[in-house]
Amino acid sequence: MRVAVTGTPGTGKTTATGLLEDRLAEDDSLPDLEVIHLNRVLEDEELYTEVDADRESKVADLDALSAWLAGRDDVVVESHLAHHFDADRVAVLRCAPEQLEQRLLERGETEAKARENAESEALDVVLSEAVEEHGLESVYEIDTTDREPEGVADALEAVVTGDREPSAGEVDFMGYLA
Amino acid sequence: MSQDDEKWGIAHVHASFNNTIMTVTDLTGAETIAKSSGGTAVKQNRDEASPYAAMQMAESVAEEVKAAGITGLHVRVRGPGGNLQKSPGPGAQATIRALARSGIEIGRIEDVTPIPHDGSRAPKGKGGY
Ligand SMILES: Nc1ncnc2c1ncn2[C@@H]1O[C@H](COP(=O)(O)OP(=O)(O)O)[C@@H](O)[C@H]1O
Ligand SMILES: [Mg+2]
Repeated sequence: MRVAVTGTPGTGKTTATGLLEDRLAEDDSLPDLEVIHLNRVLEDEELYTEVDADRESKVADLDALSAWLAGRDDVVVESHLAHHFDADRVAVLRCAPEQLEQRLLERGETEAKARENAESEALDVVLSEAVEEHGLESVYEIDTTDREPEGVADALEAVVTGDREPSAGEVDFMGYLA
Repeated sequence: MSQDDEKWGIAHVHASFNNTIMTVTDLTGAETIAKSSGGTAVKQNRDEASPYAAMQMAESVAEEVKAAGITGLHVRVRGPGGNLQKSPGPGAQATIRALARSGIEIGRIEDVTPIPHDGSRAPKGKGGY
């Protein structure tokens, strides 16, 4: 089974999947899945085509990443690009844009980066793409607003074990744009 | 109508998964001429409800805009707008059609959807509109 964990940068994917990774390693009752942090693969294998200088961001080579993922079937793929690849289940982490902006600034990102990601989150950009590419029946929206990383990991664990129903569009973050 | 009678504004359309909102400003963006209350989709029937609600919203905004003497609008769309549709989403498309039908001239349509990014981002056209 391949599980994609996606969401706007700052929603807590790397943190929550790190916790999930420990649980998968320690708990024999959980499925045997390897966690792949796709940003690291993109860096280590240089799977990008160019650099977006304005955003200080590498433009992903989606075909090359897809080829790298081919054959890796028992995995949790963590990245804000994870929904662009084949997956059986797609978890989409969400976070109120004001909190997301704060998290990104605290992580040391520039104001422009924090702002554009918060706007993306307010407009449901990643969720819409995930639903468009995978359908409502495969998407699991998880709101991380005011939620500890362990609680987010609980929700991801439920996606992995099948103890959670698909959902999408249950948050409304548009107030951020007003 | 002579050139002198033309007055242009900008319609800023924000189209999220469930909702479409629109603000009309002057060309500088400084003065707000009209603001929509939002075309929220009915959850159980999102595909149909979203464009319909957006259309109704656009019709009421169009009346306000015309009353303010605006004859044409450039459109700036932000957001994918609704599920299972190509950009601009159904909300945005319905909004633009409703504006045109009300007799407002439509000028440039620009997609200024933000791009999620950290150290990486998707190529344009794949997510990154
Ligand atoms: N559930 C949470 N609540 C509050 N802050 C969080 C949470 N998860 C992560 N963070 C913090 O927010 C920032 C972004 O988290 P990170 O896991 O790097 O997100 P992503 O991988 O989605 O970009 C980090 O500084 C992290 O410590
Ligand atoms: Mg990360």
